[in-house]
Amino acid sequence: MKINFNINSESKNLDVKSNETLLEVLRNNGYTEVKCGCNEGECGACLVLLDGKPVNSCQVLAMSVRNKEIKTVKGIGTLFSPHIIQKIFAKVGADQCGFCSPGMVIASYSLLKENPNPTYIEIVEGLDGNLCRCTGYVKIIEAVEESAELINKRIKAE
Amino acid sequence: MFNYVNKPIEKIDGLALVTGNEFYTDDFNFKGMLHVSILHSGFAHAIIEDLDDSAARKIPGVIEVLYYKNVNQILYTTAGQGYPEPSPYDTFLFGKVMRFIGDNVCAVAAETKEIADAALKKIKVKYKRLKPVLDFEKAENSKVIIHKEDGAFPKIPVFYDASKNLPAKVEANVGNFDDAYQNSSKKIEQTFYTPYASHCAIEPHTSVSYIDNRGRLVIISSTQVPFHVRRIVSHVAEIPISQIRVIKPRIGGGFGGKQEVLLEPIVALITWKTKRPAKLSLSRKEVFKSTRTRHQFRTIFRVGYEDNGKINAFHLDALENSGGYGSHALTVLSNAGSKTLPLLNKIENIRFTGKSVYTNLPCGGAYRGYGATEAYFGFGQIIDMICENTKLDIIEYYKKWSIKSGETSPIFKALGEGKEGVAMTITSTSLEQCLDTGAKDFNWYEKRNIYGPNSALNKNNRYKKGVGMAALMQGSGIPEIDMASAYIKMNDDGSFNLHVGATDIGTGSDTILAQIAAEVLDTPVEKIIVNSSDTDNTPFDVGAYASSTTYLSGKAVQKCAEKVKAQILKVGSEILNLSLDKIEIKNNKVVLKKSGIQQERSEISFEDICRYAFYQNNQFQIQATASHVSPKSPPPFAAHFAEIEVDTFTGIIKVLNYLAAVDCGTPINITLAEGQTEGAIVNGMAYALFEDYYFSPSGKLLNDTFGKYGMFTAGDVPPIKVKLIESYEETGPFGAKSISEININGPLPAIANAFYNATGKRLFKAPFIPEYVLNILNS
Amino acid sequence: MLPNEIQWYFPTNLNEAIKLINQQGVILHAGGTRILKTQTQSIKGLVDIDALKLNYIRRKNKVFHIGAGVTFGDIVKYSRQTENLKMLEASLSKAASTPLRNRITIGGSIKDFPLWSSLYAPLIALDAKINLIDKKNYTLSIEEYVTKGIIKTKHIIKEIIVPSEEHLKWGVKRFSLIRFEYPLFNIAVSFQMNEDIVRNAKLVITGVHGRFKRFKKAENIFAGEKLSQELIEKAGKFINPKFISDYKYSANYKEKIAKVYFKDVLTEIAGRE
Repeated sequence: MKINFNINSESKNLDVKSNETLLEVLRNNGYTEVKCGCNEGECGACLVLLDGKPVNSCQVLAMSVRNKEIKTVKGIGTLFSPHIIQKIFAKVGADQCGFCSPGMVIASYSLLKENPNPTYIEIVEGLDGNLCRCTGYVKIIEAVEESAELINKRIKAE
Repeated sequence: MFNYVNKPIEKIDGLALVTGNEFYTDDFNFKGMLHVSILHSGFAHAIIEDLDDSAARKIPGVIEVLYYKNVNQILYTTAGQGYPEPSPYDTFLFGKVMRFIGDNVCAVAAETKEIADAALKKIKVKYKRLKPVLDFEKAENSKVIIHKEDGAFPKIPVFYDASKNLPAKVEANVGNFDDAYQNSSKKIEQTFYTPYASHCAIEPHTSVSYIDNRGRLVIISSTQVPFHVRRIVSHVAEIPISQIRVIKPRIGGGFGGKQEVLLEPIVALITWKTKRPAKLSLSRKEVFKSTRTRHQFRTIFRVGYEDNGKINAFHLDALENSGGYGSHALTVLSNAGSKTLPLLNKIENIRFTGKSVYTNLPCGGAYRGYGATEAYFGFGQIIDMICENTKLDIIEYYKKWSIKSGETSPIFKALGEGKEGVAMTITSTSLEQCLDTGAKDFNWYEKRNIYGPNSALNKNNRYKKGVGMAALMQGSGIPEIDMASAYIKMNDDGSFNLHVGATDIGTGSDTILAQIAAEVLDTPVEKIIVNSSDTDNTPFDVGAYASSTTYLSGKAVQKCAEKVKAQILKVGSEILNLSLDKIEIKNNKVVLKKSGIQQERSEISFEDICRYAFYQNNQFQIQATASHVSPKSPPPFAAHFAEIEVDTFTGIIKVLNYLAAVDCGTPINITLAEGQTEGAIVNGMAYALFEDYYFSPSGKLLNDTFGKYGMFTAGDVPPIKVKLIESYEETGPFGAKSISEININGPLPAIANAFYNATGKRLFKAPFIPEYVLNILNS
Repeated sequence: MLPNEIQWYFPTNLNEAIKLINQQGVILHAGGTRILKTQTQSIKGLVDIDALKLNYIRRKNKVFHIGAGVTFGDIVKYSRQTENLKMLEASLSKAASTPLRNRITIGGSIKDFPLWSSLYAPLIALDAKINLIDKKNYTLSIEEYVTKGIIKTKHIIKEIIVPSEEHLKWGVKRFSLIRFEYPLFNIAVSFQMNEDIVRNAKLVITGVHGRFKRFKKAENIFAGEKLSQELIEKAGKFINPKFISDYKYSANYKEKIAKVYFKDVLTEIAGRE
């Protein structure tokens, strides 16, 4: 059946089967930036923001989130209009293969929105649902710290 | 000194990756695409007596079923290695014999994945169950033969004896071990075990194929070895190489797990038969059980030495669990010796004996470190034990006995990868500085003084702390075997297309190769447009393995860029009417070397040069190709230091601090070099502390999800410090060697040695899970 | 995959919902994480609880009313802005992961009660109650919910009632090697205090053979006394959790560690001001 969603600030009317996950619906409708790493809710590659909160889209049944607001990583920033977090990730080398990066960006974005001045512990807690095998997390944590600093500077400047 | 190399340049695909704009294999979809599901064997050892697919075929939407009756039984190896492969041809695409739980019974292609999965349930298979071999220490003399009369054979003339379940055997001897060992005043004999592991690349194995408009087969795959894929698919699916194109898009990590040709022949056959696109994407459970793993190893060390620390005799015996098939069996086994023994090259009497055995368990394959990781566990502890017994300072020990610049080791020649090894002299090393700087930055000596099992700090303390270290080496490519090539052409805005077969698997090789070209041509990295890993458009490269990309592919790029530079200078000389010795390249221009000579024109831009060459006079396309094979494999070196705390009430080890001092020659990209080091260390740490495969009594993998297997998240990682200590490798591009594998070898020995420092007890078995550690503590 | 002919329902009141789940093969859908894990082909219908508006947290006098639709993440966030719900926060903030905590609901977690649950131990230690609806609307203790088998029946949890932590000394601890793991066990200890005398003690562990255990003999040792190391040693003799061996850890090891951890938690509480 056709179900309404608000995806990246656009109203979308999509074909949804009763047993499909949000991940499947998104990927079947061109939102390939949402990745599938395990399909079991354990790796975080499929993270999206649901009404502003990060969730594993592979663990959400699409029918249950009809009419809700969904943001993928492209709703945070795009290639031609990247968010500060994305720019810093790329700058410090927080992305190697990049497969976990959309999920990491979403988790970082959500974390910094909730908590603009996170401590180290709060950062790693905010990232506790995102697996990465390439980086060892070192530069990812650096990227979040640097992003927080920059965002706060910008807020102060405004 | 450099403009573009040895700089922390941002990855050229960085922004595209973090904005989710890049495509990975599963992101490709084609009209009419079929979805493939695989039926895996539920028995560790069984013969398929019959398979009836009629019920499955009746399901609407099921288009094809591939299994032993309709797939030609052609032996091959799944190992992504150069031809002829040093791995035995012991695999059928869909054979009759199932050799581990996870082996492939058949493939179903259907209109949707749901239908394909449902069809699997309707496949009727009649199995004859055989006794499985599940203990690798009992496999060699087992009455159960795993490759019995299937015609499996070694492709190159090396040892292969399926009747004894031995896909590989290696022996190398230097001097006279037995006598030297007998005559040593001190001896150590110790056995070590390292476990199975899964690469856990976050992107699961995926392949897609389709027929292009002219009827050729195109395969898009998450692979580390596109050219080997093309050749092996051609062999297995019996399609001419000229009819196959393999493209590697972005891939989500490999670590060796995708140096294997597993899915591509399946989708290729389906597409070739049905003329429809096909996609096969493995589930995470399937990746765990049915792809490749790190080999389980037993290493036995027998070392004879003297009070002054001199090692007279060193015997490393390795037993490798190959699983049901022998891909990478010989080469991983060989590397256990060839990447460890040369480190202490003054040992005059060395023996390396290795055997690989077939078992009815998941298959070992390539995994970062490739045998070295497994052997360093014991190697690094043996040296620690020698220093402990002789009261020598381990830092000074390594400084004294490790291989130096200008020196060689007989092992280089004695242990190759299937053929004889290649003698080599070290031409770059900063290992001594790595040891010194590492020790200093880590406060090694202060910590050794306050720790120790009987120290005031540790004695009677529930939480004991200790520090340990290990020195390491690896290689840079496979000498005289691996080849890389590059092609560069110039565009009329002064930019360049760089085409390389080299495979960026997340390592950032696209970027560093662009940096190398940029450095030669003295032009910004943004002006180098990289196209990689497309067998139609990019020249040959073996692929991403053996830590070869920077050193080998980088050198090919450097050579190629030099040729292009020569052409640019020639055109510049023509336009400026100056002899070649008076001009040079500088910042996108050809310029006069010295000012002072009055000239109407003293410089000309790259843009103008190319336009002249395209349109005006003596027109030609400025372009060049170059290939590179190296006669040597200059090792990177490293010194790793670990500080741990162990809770003696629970056996839980916590790493408090880690430092790696690394010599990779000239780091082409500092950010990426650090990233490789950090990632390898964290992977190595998890491998030391808890990664393992747990099997049921029938050989079924039990912990087949990330949650059950165990993966570090950001909060588990201790502070890690990376120090890149440069040396200059004259045979590498701008002095570079490799860095991608070596650092995964450090955590096992460093943490084990730190445990000894904390508790006075040794860990001879990895992983160091708490129950095992507690048993050791209480023994 | 779940069967593809699932019927979805979005009831707006509890009576409607309870009628629906009394049908064969129809179950509640809260966060959905457990449904996707169990993947049972026998599901015919899913009753989504979103429109039932059970995602409230209210404080009334000395108790918190937490709706069944409240997620672990909601509780952690709420508790960071308030006092006296810290025990639940401490245990839940380490459960699963941030994105999973945004979907796992109180109701769902209570009904499923997985062995690795981080919810049950603190709830038992807090003497929490469950308000639910089956044929009637009633409230019972969380222990009774399990021991009387209500957990297995068809019902809808409306809310849990958690006493606030005034005069409570507490501690929680779990065994997991790394952050993202299914903990082998969860320990929760609570002491209702009257000045420095223990009025009431609860020593709870979940993940054991039989799912959960309270060590009543040990609890009685603390009752009426001041907390002391001596008492902890004495009580320790009656803390003997029983586990089942699994492929990673033996029962013996788990039992040893559980005892160590109980002692750690008790010692830490006793050491506080």
